[in-house]
Amino acid sequence: MNSQNRNSFSNHSACGDEPSAAEATLRLIARLPAPEGLEDRVHARLAADLRKGRILAWPTTLKADSGWMRTAAAAAIVFVVAGGGWGIYSRIPQPPSAKTILLQPRGPVQGGFSSSGAMRTPQTLNGPLLINPATPKLPATKAPFKTPGHPSLKPIRHGQLGGSSKNSVQPVAPVAK
Amino acid sequence: MSASQAVFSGWMEIPDSAVDDKARQYAEEAALAALVSQYAGTLYRVAFSVLRNPSDAEDAVQEAFLRVLRHRDTLGEVRDQRVWLIRIVWNIVLDRKRRAKTRPETDDVADLARVLPSGGMSAEQIASAAQHHAHVLAYVERLPAKEREVLMLSAFEELNSVEIASVLEISESSVRSRLFRARNLMAGLLDHTRSLR
Repeated sequence: MNSQNRNSFSNHSACGDEPSAAEATLRLIARLPAPEGLEDRVHARLAADLRKGRILAWPTTLKADSGWMRTAAAAAIVFVVAGGGWGIYSRIPQPPSAKTILLQPRGPVQGGFSSSGAMRTPQTLNGPLLINPATPKLPATKAPFKTPGHPSLKPIRHGQLGGSSKNSVQPVAPVAK
Repeated sequence: MSASQAVFSGWMEIPDSAVDDKARQYAEEAALAALVSQYAGTLYRVAFSVLRNPSDAEDAVQEAFLRVLRHRDTLGEVRDQRVWLIRIVWNIVLDRKRRAKTRPETDDVADLARVLPSGGMSAEQIASAAQHHAHVLAYVERLPAKEREVLMLSAFEELNSVEIASVLEISESSVRSRLFRARNLMAGLLDHTRSLR
């Protein structure tokens, strides 16, 4: 033990004899000699590990100083990054376009109520009501064609249109639907 | 053979770098062997003070030198090899102790009596001394980790306060304040047990 390196705590007792007693015990343990043959066993262990190749030293010829090593390392990094990116991209499903909307088919829910085959039909808007249907215009200016042999169809004279003639053509009454 | 000359052996050419590497490897191994011869005992005592188990302490020393072997190319950059080695083995034993979470083997009085030097004492005296040391060590174990570590390292006479600070990677003033607290705590613990008796 080197006496020049003796620390300043060895003879220092700040709190009476108890700490020095405790430190005496620790000092006693700290002074215990190493077992015989310790160095030889350590040497043997190191030699055995070197022989087994368990200690893998980085080859000095492959140090990062060499240019090709740097290039290979950079290429490997680029390859790994690009491959990883492509792997992620290929695994993500592409979102459907806006025109096609994929709806999941409705299947029977396990344990739920069934619809008993009923189909839901959506309500549609009511169509427009026809209140005043257009009446067909009668050609007044043209001469009525004669239908020979049919006594009920006679030419209408002027002034007889709104009259009380039995054979006058009445306008069609609106039909309420 | 100069370093710049290429060595031809039949058809094989041995480059200069290979010769340099071989020489460097031999130099590193020789430096490591010198470290083992010089500091194996110190490292063993540091390990034993924490683990208090001869086989575990020896195993920790071997593991420390295996770590040195792995980083042997950086040996030249180490400023103080002794403190560096003690820090390595200190971290190893603290890690092992943390993982084991078991009482040290020699806290048993009989084991302690076997390990500690007798110094011409009678069997009764040895047993009594062992009981006392076991009692003190049990109280040291009850100290907080920071204070306990400083107290343990302060027992090594070859380590001064600066080196203890370097091993624990704290400042020297922290070492002194922790040691003061450790002594106060030890005094309190021993007073308490004395009053209980």
